[in-house]
Amino acid sequence: MPGILSELRVLELTHRPSGAFCAKLLADQGADTIKVEPPGWGDQSRHEPPFVGDEPHQDRSSTFLAFNTNKRGITLDVEQEAGRDLFLRLAESADIVIESFTPGRLDELGLDYEALSARNAGVIVVSITYFGQDGPYANYRGDDLVAQAMGGYLYAVTGSASKPPMGTALQQMEITAARNGAVAVMAALLRREKTGKGTHIDVSTMEAAVSTPSGLIHPYTYTGRNPHRGGSDGNVMDGMHLPTLDGEVTLTTAGTGGRPMQAWAEFLEEPGLLDPKFASRGGRMEHWEELHSLVAPKLAQWTNLDLMRETMARGLVIGLVQTPTQVVESPHLEERGFFVELDHAEAGPLRYAGSGFFIDGENAMAASRAAPRLGEHNVEILCHELGLSMRELGLLRAARVI
Amino acid sequence: MAEKGVLDGVRVLTLEQVHALPWGTGFLADLGADVIRVESPDHLQDRKAGPFPDGQPGEEWWNEAGNLVYYGTRNKRSLCMDVTDPRGKEIFLKLVEKADIVTDNFRPGTMQRFGFDHDSLSAINPRIITLSSTAYGYTGPWRRAGSRARTVDAACGLSYLTGYEGGPSMRASNNYMDHSVGNNVAYALLLALYQRNKTGEGMRIDLTMLETGVSAVGPAILEAQSGITRDRLGCSHWWKAPHNVYPARGEDRWIVIVVSSDDEWQLLKQAMGSPCWANDARFDTVLSRWNNRHELDEHLAQWTSQRDDLELARELQQQGITAGSCMTARDLVGNAHLQERRYFREFANPQAPEVGSRIFAGRPFNDPGNPMTISKVAGLGQDNGAILADLAGLSASEIGDLENQGVVFGAPRPDEPRP
Repeated sequence: MPGILSELRVLELTHRPSGAFCAKLLADQGADTIKVEPPGWGDQSRHEPPFVGDEPHQDRSSTFLAFNTNKRGITLDVEQEAGRDLFLRLAESADIVIESFTPGRLDELGLDYEALSARNAGVIVVSITYFGQDGPYANYRGDDLVAQAMGGYLYAVTGSASKPPMGTALQQMEITAARNGAVAVMAALLRREKTGKGTHIDVSTMEAAVSTPSGLIHPYTYTGRNPHRGGSDGNVMDGMHLPTLDGEVTLTTAGTGGRPMQAWAEFLEEPGLLDPKFASRGGRMEHWEELHSLVAPKLAQWTNLDLMRETMARGLVIGLVQTPTQVVESPHLEERGFFVELDHAEAGPLRYAGSGFFIDGENAMAASRAAPRLGEHNVEILCHELGLSMRELGLLRAARVI
Repeated sequence: MAEKGVLDGVRVLTLEQVHALPWGTGFLADLGADVIRVESPDHLQDRKAGPFPDGQPGEEWWNEAGNLVYYGTRNKRSLCMDVTDPRGKEIFLKLVEKADIVTDNFRPGTMQRFGFDHDSLSAINPRIITLSSTAYGYTGPWRRAGSRARTVDAACGLSYLTGYEGGPSMRASNNYMDHSVGNNVAYALLLALYQRNKTGEGMRIDLTMLETGVSAVGPAILEAQSGITRDRLGCSHWWKAPHNVYPARGEDRWIVIVVSSDDEWQLLKQAMGSPCWANDARFDTVLSRWNNRHELDEHLAQWTSQRDDLELARELQQQGITAGSCMTARDLVGNAHLQERRYFREFANPQAPEVGSRIFAGRPFNDPGNPMTISKVAGLGQDNGAILADLAGLSASEIGDLENQGVVFGAPRPDEPRP
């Protein structure tokens, strides 16, 4: 089926993964998403390692490829008047504009919400920045680690209690901000259907970090205690990673009818687990090293997939700590048809992660194209669709506008 | 229910527990949908999970948990009814006639056992949108497996990639994936409503925690196919140095500093007063700083450890250097930036008067067209009467009979253990 958003046009003018991922979420549902990049260098993430094929190349960064599926790409220097004019012409036909400039910069360029909505009353502008459009930090500089830190996530969530704070991998705060932005966009679209009116949405990555661990703000305001990292320290049965024959696993006490040690003693054939000192959570934490020495050798006899199958059959709940390669080769995901293969002129055919949901049994991710090469759709969009002549295109190119 | 929200007129029936799905339907409730949480009197763990004031559950503990305000029943209605009883089932199916969306987070098979699978509901109401939020989905060899958010942080590849530099893999989070999945639930449901406005047709959504997790590690998925291994780096970066968390003055205080270019390094050097060590040629270029980053981190840590992190972060930012204090919950609640942005929500739940007013994290986005506030938090079975009378057409005496016969409940059973 055509994507749910296939009648919509999105313009993306962003500088950080949050904006790119937000636009990707819409593009993956079929929206005609045009990524606008600075001429020459393009999106910074084109140059972030690692690269498919190892050698640095502006079209082969794994981050760029992953976060820009199903988009078309043009280059345009909006710092120049001619570039701004073209952007405004494109914005006339856009339903959604996603941007990530430092607050105030778009006003200076004459591309702010007021300017865009004067030409296109129904436009929905999404500003997705580290600290939001106002407040004392509005002009602060950020990145994913800063958002984790200032959003309280770094202190409280991932690391060990006895060590410095440590972050979650792969820019998850950027992704969380993007997911929140996509929810806000859909709500704004539904409102526009009723009222015809556009809006300006302000997304803050720092705030996305604050709202993400539910164990942060209100547990503090209810108890007066600051939530602190280290929840998996010494937590053999509910948090640590334990080695298997071909990987790692994390156990849980779930699915054991309130008798976790009996269930696990039986499954692992290790009667030592029945020692009363392991009966309570507190006892298991106090004697964790001893518990570990009983559990770990037993788990080490299993392969990941066998362990998953047999625990599942008994209603025990575990998590395989899968490597990305194990994820890619997962028989479960294969049978579900989760990955979507997209071919890219520079990176070749690769399997990309889907959207995370299936509609009437169909993978909901549109599979129209891999990420655009730098300026790949300049002619298609600027000439064929916007009406520039080749001469005009050449002139603007020579002037480094395109 | 917010007044006249964009989803005014949309009704959601949700058989939800724990975290991810309630978080997702919470967005719809905030946007004005009539979200009816159909709760079982036999599974009150969400209402037992707290947090409770000072950790102490009160007399009416089932309405006091902070999680209810944050996502559990905020802006929702509660119908506490045993849907496994034939009378409860009949009422549920009557409600489906007047609903737009039915969501659940049972393991695959349970909804079918209840007679609530998509095909059965669609036969009653062809416009119905159903969404099942599960760990692994309705198909595939792992479909019967249970999960916790953290077991999916593991299975999707995120936890394997997370860890201190040079150290073993570590659990990324206890419940990050609940929130990612909840956000994806809200996105999918809003997409479905948008699509139904065009086609008039309902649909069945099979949404999974594992796949939402994998979609969050997209770059690593491509790297794995290209033979690239991503090392664990803690708070360090693939090419930036310094880029780490450094100790500040005081116990367990920390600051993050990020330098992305030689120019920024010059700025940081100036901010430090150009100490001798910083003029070492080994730290001059982006390449040499990265190659010598451990030594660089040690020097920087000595400097930061004498400074207050909040003040230092402000000073550095004023000089154009990317930095941030490692904030605790206490820091955040008192934070001037978040206060000025009116980020937090303060709410006193009339259903739990003993708890009083408390502060909650807000939504990380603001759309003046779609304001989101907390207007009510449903107590257990608080809306039984209104829902059964208005939507199922039952009389007061019929409702009374159902209460007496143990089909609907206004409070936990008398023998329910306290949390």
